[in-house]
Amino acid sequence: MRTAFSKGFLMHRWGMVIDLDKCTACQACVVACQAENNVAIIGPEESAKGRTIHWIELIPYIEGEYPHIKARLLPRPCMHCDNPPCTKVCPVYATYINEEGLVGQINHRCIGCRYCTTACPYTVKYFNWYPPDWPKELKGSLNRDVSVRTKGVVEKCTFCSHRLLRAREKAKIEGRDLLPEDYIPACVQACPSGAMYFGDLNDSNSTVSTLSRERRAFRLMEELGTEPKVIYLSEGM
Amino acid sequence: MGGGAGVAIALGGGFWKWSQLPVAENPNAPGVEKWVPTVCGQCMGGCGILVRVIDGWAVNIAGNPLHPVNRGTLCPKGIAGLQGLYDPDRIRTPLKRIGKRGEGRWQPIAWDEALSTVTESLKKLRKTGESHRLAVLGGRYRGLMRSLWERFLETFGSPNYIDNQFQWDGATIEGLYLTQGIYSPPAYDFENARYILSFGSDLLESYWSPVQALSAYGQFRRGTPERRGKLVQIEPRLSITGIKADEWLPIQPGGEGLLALGIANMMIKEGLYNKDFVSNFSFGFENWTDVNGKEHLGFKEFVLSEYDPDVVARRTGVPVDSIIRLAREFASNQPSLAMGYRDRPFQQMAVSILNGLAGNIDTSGGILIPRAVPLQSLPPVGKDTTAQKGLQVDRIDGGKKPSLMLQQPYLFARNVISGKPYRPEILFLYYTDPLFSNPNPELFSKALAQIPLIVSFSPYMDDTTSFSDLILPDRIPLERWQDDPVFLNNGFPVLGIRQPVVEPLYQTRATGDVLLHLAKSLGGEIQKAFPWNDFKEILLYGIKGVFDAKRGDTIGLQFEQAWTRLLERGGWAAPSYKTFEEFWKQLQEKGGWWDPIYDFKEWDRVFRTPTKKFEFYAQTLKQIYPTFSSKDLKDLSFFPHWEELKDAGNEKEFPLHLNVFRTMTLTGSRNANQPWLQASVGSYVFERWGTWVEINPETAKGYGIGDGDWVWIESPKGKVKVRARLYKGAMPDVVSIPFGQGHTSGGRWSKGLGENPYRLIDEDLDPLTGYPISKSTRVKIYKA
Repeated sequence: MRTAFSKGFLMHRWGMVIDLDKCTACQACVVACQAENNVAIIGPEESAKGRTIHWIELIPYIEGEYPHIKARLLPRPCMHCDNPPCTKVCPVYATYINEEGLVGQINHRCIGCRYCTTACPYTVKYFNWYPPDWPKELKGSLNRDVSVRTKGVVEKCTFCSHRLLRAREKAKIEGRDLLPEDYIPACVQACPSGAMYFGDLNDSNSTVSTLSRERRAFRLMEELGTEPKVIYLSEGM
Repeated sequence: MGGGAGVAIALGGGFWKWSQLPVAENPNAPGVEKWVPTVCGQCMGGCGILVRVIDGWAVNIAGNPLHPVNRGTLCPKGIAGLQGLYDPDRIRTPLKRIGKRGEGRWQPIAWDEALSTVTESLKKLRKTGESHRLAVLGGRYRGLMRSLWERFLETFGSPNYIDNQFQWDGATIEGLYLTQGIYSPPAYDFENARYILSFGSDLLESYWSPVQALSAYGQFRRGTPERRGKLVQIEPRLSITGIKADEWLPIQPGGEGLLALGIANMMIKEGLYNKDFVSNFSFGFENWTDVNGKEHLGFKEFVLSEYDPDVVARRTGVPVDSIIRLAREFASNQPSLAMGYRDRPFQQMAVSILNGLAGNIDTSGGILIPRAVPLQSLPPVGKDTTAQKGLQVDRIDGGKKPSLMLQQPYLFARNVISGKPYRPEILFLYYTDPLFSNPNPELFSKALAQIPLIVSFSPYMDDTTSFSDLILPDRIPLERWQDDPVFLNNGFPVLGIRQPVVEPLYQTRATGDVLLHLAKSLGGEIQKAFPWNDFKEILLYGIKGVFDAKRGDTIGLQFEQAWTRLLERGGWAAPSYKTFEEFWKQLQEKGGWWDPIYDFKEWDRVFRTPTKKFEFYAQTLKQIYPTFSSKDLKDLSFFPHWEELKDAGNEKEFPLHLNVFRTMTLTGSRNANQPWLQASVGSYVFERWGTWVEINPETAKGYGIGDGDWVWIESPKGKVKVRARLYKGAMPDVVSIPFGQGHTSGGRWSKGLGENPYRLIDEDLDPLTGYPISKSTRVKIYKA
């Protein structure tokens, strides 16, 4: 078991497993994320320029020729790499990896240079070209737990780390340790086919650890040495 | 930690307890959150949801972990319900048309004025003895609202409730009706099936209860260790279901039923069918003699002589060895399920009889017939002489309904245009948008033009509402009371309770309450028929029946389900409530009731055919509609059989087949106003916010069309301009367009985006359903 951080075994190391054999490509995760994280509405015109923001997005891989086609649809959040290329290029420490392995983004520190969007091989970093614009009728329905971004900053999937903060505070009030099941991102919570798992990769008995050792397990672009903490399970037996 | 994390525990570890749902000490204090259980209204799925409310605002929607339909999860539409509530372009007050019809000029009016306008018009109709000239066009919704509408028309004196639910999707009810005599959706227990042969069923995209389908899929694949269900998708385009399937078999649109018959042929020829089921529980398989001593051919001989795999292979283009292999796989991987789409009735029947041949009727992993939720039916009504006279008049659609399968809207629209037998004076539109969601919407605009007063109850400015004269905006599902009787894949009946989660945003009124108001103002017998003050009282009246049935329990966790079942099996009913008040309180707190038991082998419930058996020969139809038989087949017309599709448009001028499909996000006609859904509609071809056409890259090359080019798709009926997506999963001579966009009216996020493929379709009506035949349209494509 890899322990990336000096604080040792007691520290959590959050990771996600996506079982493609159960995934139905329904995109409940995509919409749950938009709702949870106050992701800006990008209308049809800007969308046509490729400026939509999706912290988790469905990526198609379609190969072969008709009628022998091999297609795969991958829900792709931030990989929360243990060795993230994005943090290394940030000139202002706006993106960083913390001791629990979460790759964070401090929106208000970001200067909008977009080095990180270029460095990320998974293209999970999104730039805000305009200030987010919600009609006044919708504004009150924003999630109070997540700050709204401004123009000119980069944003990305946080594994819903605001939920971790809340869970930790609740555990503190109740005078107990944080349990891994106290904390789960919005996408995993919504997944109707039970294809997404979340938990502590440092606990070798956790569901995510067990699944990550399965024969079907693979990670995206592992060869780059990014050490992603999102693990996919391939289709089939 | 709040409720969000509380819910999360249920999903993460399964240790979640009901008591952990946070109840704030003062839930309405500023900044304090509460989670209100209700039922999602984004589609007909019936998922239980928890809405997070802070400072009077709904700020998030999560699945209700207790609700058995979705067990704490949701589909994308469910979450986007928030944007349906806060759509800035919702209709905010009653509106009166000024200017020409469809011009879009409206004047806000007060409810009193709006209601008295309607009341006066209704009174006038009754005074002149023309009560039958009130018609209601109703769409898809469930529960007591339907009873309420029918009751209103009955006391008012009109036979004209026009049911506009068919819409080509949903469960294959016609197939069930022809084989088992039941005209309501069955439950497919596909979670427990080991093999699914899908004849174009939209399992993972637009199943009627999507979350049930998706969670069952997860179970089907990996729910049991060392056992993985196999899915074969037979369809003209590589859909999401096709991508996720183990095998995709492309087939010409409309050829699915023929392939099913080829598979039936092989199963019989090789003796691979369930002989016990076929001999004990079916009719029409072997040759038979009727009461007059006349000999009839049986299905076995019919299918063996007509649908040899060689013949089927030649006509469908599916290789003969695939047909043989599928037959063997389907028969040997038990339990197996064949699922189709809402094709022509006898094509649906062809798919249904495969389940009969496998004997998977009323079995785990097969077709189940759910019991109804025991809602108390409303008391009988009194009718005055006007009403009695009005009810004796023929319906506008002709009224001669030879079978339950016959749909009314197209016959209605045609008769309204012709004026025979008569035209309605007043039309109410409830939960329906025929100018958008019916193939050939033009027919409906012509019909509507003939009706002097059109009243719409829609909360959104949809295409049909924009064509009305008066709008009495309904509350949206998150703002109103409603019952939602539904059932699970395993046949358990469930009653969801929809309750308001926020104060109504605008000057809207629930249509149920409006009907009660109208009844009061009309007075007399009509008023007496509606002794309730609001719809909530009717709801309480209805669910009294559920309380009195002394079965089931308010919804709970899985171990409670096992306990309830154990007790019921032993003849006990031990619900967690004693009084009706307790029952009602629990319903509101937990979100619903269910009866977690399925009674197998109640054959009277399962086979409601004249023969009380599974019919390979449709006696159900023959007895009530003996004149229905084709020239060539005569008596054999009541077997599942295949007829060549009569293509609209000739092959030379229109060389391509049109295949219209539905997506997970914009499934219905009321979802396009939600940006989250718009932004994820066609991710697999990089399409958002618009309509695209999927075309085979080789075919496109022949027309000089590149990926992303704008093209015209033209049929004999009309043309639409869409974006071409070169898609390897498209058959060379089939182009596919998604339904869901192309609203001509509505708010900023729906109007004018994309195109509606239904404009390309002509009304070539199926004689049995009275609805246009799907997949029979031919088109041509050229660069715009």
